[in-house]
Amino acid sequence: MIVKAMTSHYQRHPLQLLALALMIVVATMLWTGVSVLTGQARESLAVSEQAVAAREAVVRADGQPVSVADFVILRRAGVCVAPWLEASRSASAGRVIGIDPLAMACFDAPPVGAGNGELDGDPFVDISAVAGDSVQAEHPGQLSLLISPGTAPLPEGYERRAFRLGPATGELADSFLLNLDALSLLVLFITGLLVRSVYHLGLAQRRSSFALLRRFGVLEGQIQRLLAAELTILTLVCVVPGVWLGQALANRLGQGFGLALDSLFDLSLYAGDGSPLPWRAAMVMVALVLGVCLVDRLMPRRPAPGGGSSRWQALSIRLWVPTAVAGFVMVFWAGSLVWVFAGTALVFVGVGGLMPGILAGCADAMARRQPQSAASPLGRWRYRELAVMFRNLALPVVALQFAMATVLAVQALVTSFEETFDQWLAQRLSAELYVEVPEGASADAGARALATLGGLGDWHRVSRGKAEVRGSSGDGEAVTTDLMALAPISTLVTGWSLLAAVNEPWAALSFGGVMVNEQLARRSGVALGQMLLIELGGEPLEARVVGVYADYGRPSAEILLHGSVLPEGFAPSFQSFSLNPGARSVDDISRRLTSVWQVADLVIRDNASIQALAGQVFQQTFLLTRAISVLTLVLASLSLLVMGWVFFSTRNWYFQLLGVWGVPPAAVRGQLRRLALLLVSGVTLVALPLGIWLTWVLVSRINPLAFGWSLPMAVYPGFWMELGAVMAVIGLVIAWLIGRQLAGQTSLRPDASLAGGGER
Amino acid sequence: MAESVLTTNQLSKRFRSGSEAVYVIERLSFRVSAFESVAVTGRSGSGKSTLLNLLCGLETADDGVVSLAGQRFEAQGGYAGQKAATRWAALRKQTIGVVFQEANLMPAMTLLENVRLRADLAGQPGGEEMHWLEKLGVAAEAHRFPDQVSGGQRQRAALAMVFAMQPVIILADEPTGSLDRQTADDVTDRLFEVQRDTGCALLLATHDQALAGRCDRCLDLGEGG
Repeated sequence: MIVKAMTSHYQRHPLQLLALALMIVVATMLWTGVSVLTGQARESLAVSEQAVAAREAVVRADGQPVSVADFVILRRAGVCVAPWLEASRSASAGRVIGIDPLAMACFDAPPVGAGNGELDGDPFVDISAVAGDSVQAEHPGQLSLLISPGTAPLPEGYERRAFRLGPATGELADSFLLNLDALSLLVLFITGLLVRSVYHLGLAQRRSSFALLRRFGVLEGQIQRLLAAELTILTLVCVVPGVWLGQALANRLGQGFGLALDSLFDLSLYAGDGSPLPWRAAMVMVALVLGVCLVDRLMPRRPAPGGGSSRWQALSIRLWVPTAVAGFVMVFWAGSLVWVFAGTALVFVGVGGLMPGILAGCADAMARRQPQSAASPLGRWRYRELAVMFRNLALPVVALQFAMATVLAVQALVTSFEETFDQWLAQRLSAELYVEVPEGASADAGARALATLGGLGDWHRVSRGKAEVRGSSGDGEAVTTDLMALAPISTLVTGWSLLAAVNEPWAALSFGGVMVNEQLARRSGVALGQMLLIELGGEPLEARVVGVYADYGRPSAEILLHGSVLPEGFAPSFQSFSLNPGARSVDDISRRLTSVWQVADLVIRDNASIQALAGQVFQQTFLLTRAISVLTLVLASLSLLVMGWVFFSTRNWYFQLLGVWGVPPAAVRGQLRRLALLLVSGVTLVALPLGIWLTWVLVSRINPLAFGWSLPMAVYPGFWMELGAVMAVIGLVIAWLIGRQLAGQTSLRPDASLAGGGER
Repeated sequence: MAESVLTTNQLSKRFRSGSEAVYVIERLSFRVSAFESVAVTGRSGSGKSTLLNLLCGLETADDGVVSLAGQRFEAQGGYAGQKAATRWAALRKQTIGVVFQEANLMPAMTLLENVRLRADLAGQPGGEEMHWLEKLGVAAEAHRFPDQVSGGQRQRAALAMVFAMQPVIILADEPTGSLDRQTADDVTDRLFEVQRDTGCALLLATHDQALAGRCDRCLDLGEGG
């Protein structure tokens, strides 16, 4: 009977139950989705680290990639080497590694997955499967040759190198995952606030029922136990579809996530079994829901208004202001990503603690400033009601503020990255055509042919390869970098905007200077004017740094030299020409080069197709971040909608009272609209500065630490307006729902449970 | 004899109970004059609150006529139409003061602000609010919020609100129903005193015979429907 009495509330308010259930489901979905993806990425990282730990590979001294022929030469020379071939399938399916267990027989300790002979595809498979088509690889990877320690000396033309699966990115990939963890923790924090607010509003409305049960002799402890049981059952029921939806979300976003890792860090997702992860996420969600809803049992009771509330407010200010200030200081001065996140969390906690009180205080101040007159009699009433709303809807208001700030910041980050990336790409792709030098063809001959082709626009030759770079003192570890060499220096590059440069940087480059990308400058502390020792194809070269250029979208360090300084022995891994046809047609150029190189076809790419491909990769890269922040905003908006509606409903009598006092129904509805719009406008206004601050944190603090490059700080008022419009729609929907409710009301007696709506 | 501010003629209100029509108010005719206080009595369910709601346009009559402060509302002539609703709203704003058993004040506003709000809505010039709070004996609590004062003080403030709008008639539905005897007596003392001073009419629904006995006359609705 007690159970029946307790469940009767939700029978009368099914929408409230639905709202609570929906929030737990969506929160679980978001959390599970992100947990699965980051878990998978971490597992992948662990696999790659474990697989290459303390291993060495053989490389060709001329910088060319190793081939099967090299494998044969080395084995015939008695060197214990084994092939390692990676292949990428779809990003969500992950990458697989093809190995040859027989070739690894000479290793003392075979690499992971090879020792027990179980090649189960997670991620190791037999190399024949990768080389053949049974794995359905979209992009077969580059072959590497692992070498067993202590094996016979290498024949001439080969060198040992530490085995890496991608460029040395330091802690960047970990930082990226930490970024995602922070975002998902923020989501968890916001959803915790929302779940708690809906649950507590329900409790407030049930206060009179509980009082009645106590009068009937039911013990307080019994009521609390039943409430805990009710919440546990609801959570367990809702977490199951949440986990399922989260898994679906992870599958949907997996490709974008894989691309993000691939394009940002050259880090591939390896195939693996992530099945225990969703259940771990589900347990976290159950603990969160039970924790945020039942934590009050352990906390000191907050005094009711009119009691010691001013003392409580003073205490809150003494607690939250230093918290927020400490957070701001920490974010400003922190040198590591973890401390930046910790500082950001403190700012959020401090701001969240202060904001409802500040908003309510502002509304009260506005109420006092309203001239009380017959001309606008309801101005003061409206602001007083608004203050009540801010106090009583504190949790959803704060949650919405956080969600909006996050969406604003992520949007600003992504858009400024997009714009910066577009500008940068436009610089890099200023030529109209890109012609690859075919394998075996002479780039010099091509250059001579182009130089004598009258009417041709600007052009230059690009040679790519690897270099080893160290400081001029010669001490310290050499850094392997990508190399780009250009010759001649044409107007296609002289328009680049450089992050730092000496006077006449391109002339300085032509006279033997070197430019470095931002990644190398940040990671190795390379500064303008510094001398670098560069080893190219076995030849040493000393060059002064004459410029630092932006190089977005990849983690590798890179240097830029003039083509004339490349030594004879340097074998570029790739060469191409960037050119504007000028008065010549593409066919003219193609005919001239095919005749010089004696080839049937040329690979010629146009600017537009490369830009389109880059744009596609870009969209995929930020799909996950955008999706998480937008879904969080949707969740928080829905929550404010439901909470606002429920709270307005508890005040129904007071809105009716306006009608009793002769305010026409249309005017009452107008007041409700203004009140609801003021509520959402208040949240939007306080979300803006937090969002702008968070944008600064993302672009100026987190981005350089997590991705290795910085972005200019930009704000987008157009998007603020869009977000404001969404909030206005939410406000209008709340007002419309309440207006309908008021119009349908037949009784004019104050509700028996009025205590639930008479707060101030 | 003072002029009548309220007249009803053959006023009826019925509700449906299944296929049967049950009359709560049946062909009720009466009049109330300025300075006069009339108690509406009857057992629970006799239609006291319904009658008061009919007399201020918060519910619509099925038959009959109500004339109030010179305005005439006919059940057959669009008692509940849009125009009538607007006329009723204007009357409630400036002419009819309504007091319920509880929750007559806006919880987010102080007692003084509540009184000022009601006077402003009625179009009364400002500055008289403290005078009414003093008259009702709650001036000391003027800057307190409703949840910071007692039930009796809240009802006195509610009466101050009503008097501040300078109504022609007050419709009070069990105004002391939720108060203890002593507080109730104190509140009704103030109510009758100020009502006589201002000269407005008072129609007071109550099941308290002692309170009804203090009114000039009594309108008994009997057993009810």
